[in-house]
Amino acid sequence: MGPTTETTTEPMAGPATSAPAPAKQPPTSGSTANQRKAQRGSATGLLANLALVLYFAFSLLPVLFIVALSLKTNAEQTTTYLWFTPTLENYQTVLGLGDGGSSYVRFFLASLATSTGAVLVSLLIGIPAAYAAARYRFKGSEDLMFTLLSFRFAPELVVIIPLGVIYQQIGLYDTIFGMVWVLQLVTMPLVVWILRSFFQDLPAELEEAALLDGYTRSQAFLKIVLPLVRPGIAAVCLLAFIFAWNNFIFPFTLTSGDAQTVTVSSLAFLGGNQVRFNLVAAGAVMAVLPPLVLALCIQRYLVRGLSFGAVKG
Amino acid sequence: MATIDVRSVRKKFGKLVALDDVSFSVNDGEFFCLLGPSGAGKTTTLKSIAGLVQPDSGEVWLAGQDAGDIEPNHRNLAMCFESYALYPQHNVFDNMASPLRSPVLRLPDDQVRERVGRTAEMLGVAHLLDRGVDQLSNGQRQRVALGRVLVRPANAYLLDEPLSHLDAKLRTSMRAELKRIAHGDLMTTTVYVTHDYVEALSLADRIGVIKEGRILQVGTPQQVWDTPETAFVAQAFGKPRISFVSGGLVSDNGTIRFISSDGAITVPVPHVEAAAGEPVRIGIRPRDLTLYTGAGPQPAGHERLDGVVYVLEHLGRQTEVTVRIGESLVSVVAPRNDVGGLTVDDKVSLLLDPARVHVFGDSDSDDGRRLSR
Repeated sequence: MGPTTETTTEPMAGPATSAPAPAKQPPTSGSTANQRKAQRGSATGLLANLALVLYFAFSLLPVLFIVALSLKTNAEQTTTYLWFTPTLENYQTVLGLGDGGSSYVRFFLASLATSTGAVLVSLLIGIPAAYAAARYRFKGSEDLMFTLLSFRFAPELVVIIPLGVIYQQIGLYDTIFGMVWVLQLVTMPLVVWILRSFFQDLPAELEEAALLDGYTRSQAFLKIVLPLVRPGIAAVCLLAFIFAWNNFIFPFTLTSGDAQTVTVSSLAFLGGNQVRFNLVAAGAVMAVLPPLVLALCIQRYLVRGLSFGAVKG
Repeated sequence: MATIDVRSVRKKFGKLVALDDVSFSVNDGEFFCLLGPSGAGKTTTLKSIAGLVQPDSGEVWLAGQDAGDIEPNHRNLAMCFESYALYPQHNVFDNMASPLRSPVLRLPDDQVRERVGRTAEMLGVAHLLDRGVDQLSNGQRQRVALGRVLVRPANAYLLDEPLSHLDAKLRTSMRAELKRIAHGDLMTTTVYVTHDYVEALSLADRIGVIKEGRILQVGTPQQVWDTPETAFVAQAFGKPRISFVSGGLVSDNGTIRFISSDGAITVPVPHVEAAAGEPVRIGIRPRDLTLYTGAGPQPAGHERLDGVVYVLEHLGRQTEVTVRIGESLVSVVAPRNDVGGLTVDDKVSLLLDPARVHVFGDSDSDDGRRLSR
């Protein structure tokens, strides 16, 4: 974000700073100098825009590629060219429309259930936790926050074997509930850490004013504070959902059928006697839809949420 | 309406002592000003009364009742924050209506509209009721914040620098308006925090002067002006500030006289509670001095001090003259005509009524305790 805003503001800053100079010079030469500056400014602006378009194309290429691959036949699946006759056969296969032999829809629903459940549980517990962490300092509160954060950067593989054993023993193996629970390791630290900074940015005097207006502490929180962090909640919702949705290692090791998610189910197309990249691609294209739809729904809050720290004040 | 009793309140923030044994009481319906420089503990005192700050020790009593266990929302106090603390998601009307709609009051809608309308009219923000808070100037925000307080009946109003962000003209008119509200129809107990001595003198029934978390003096505007108990209090009121001259006391035929360190100023100080030989400083208010140009007879009972003009500041009808007497600088405010053709380094005399000289101790440890009776 930083470099692009710099380049776009530059052409505007150029003529503005040179404005006092023409006063000393004859007006004609002054204005031509200004024009030249302005031309140079728009030239840099054009270059910057060109660079942006190039980068945009570059980053969209993999998306284009995977969509193309999902429309290719088995014979063409290892080719890289984009000129071919598209077919929807892969989607039919993945969804089991042709022979009825796929459980992709079930995996998809399991993914939806675990991710949504994980985000909701994290919000339910994480919002009050983040608020408390932002407002109340007590002995060890920072250690607690750090421990929470360490769930994010500790590799999941470290805990996967004991977790697997425990899940097998207490009957959480291959259940939606078990997945929602274990995904808290992924979503909870995100929710608490991001929302804490949103709460910290709000002056405590807002709540104090609400208290003196006659509202209880919980009313002050619900009526005054919570509506103000809505952009933050939207942003963290999406982030947590994406992380939960994309998680591979937990469903891979802790589910086998009932609660298996789309990320793991794609593996089925790679094993066996034939590698089917085109089917993987079709599954992936469909699997992108829920996060995409969520992002579009909360877009209004999202832009404000993600730029909250940057443009404050 | 209620009394407020602050009893030996202490509060530390980490190592910083914010309040150090603060005690004062505010009578029912009284307008009490807390005056002090920034960082003196004014806001902390206010928040302790409101219950937003938990004192380390000491008590706050409201209406004759220990408020220690009463939550802020049940204290029935209205507070105006220096930072306004307006709710950004609400418009002006909803901000001002917030205390009226709270579970404590829960007024019906028509009463809310009526009260908000009346208060907004009074504060000159009636045309802004539909605006968002982010569309207001700082002065308008401050008036809305004040409106959120004045709109409701309360045991007491706590106002934290409610006029500080207004421009000079508006501040003067709002000050008059506040005075009318406070002393007129409402008669609600009010604690008013300010660093502006003019506000304190003009509004307050009584003033408490606070410095570094300690109350130095509580008294009526007349008392704090006429008999400041410390040199700091004397300095807090008046512009130009009171002039201080350091020196000592000597006994001269049974009367005690003050002699400045360099011997250039000598004044009899009859009403002093100190022995000869003690180091003291005297304070002379610029308006207690008269510029004497030698014309006409010298009035009886006045001491004459001779010096030279150090600085001249013409301020419209009056002129502020700083006179150097020996090593000391003394300010005097004189009518423009009296100053006439004076220029810097001209010889000039000042007349002083010894009864109006304030004598303070010269040690900073006790903030220069008052020694004159």
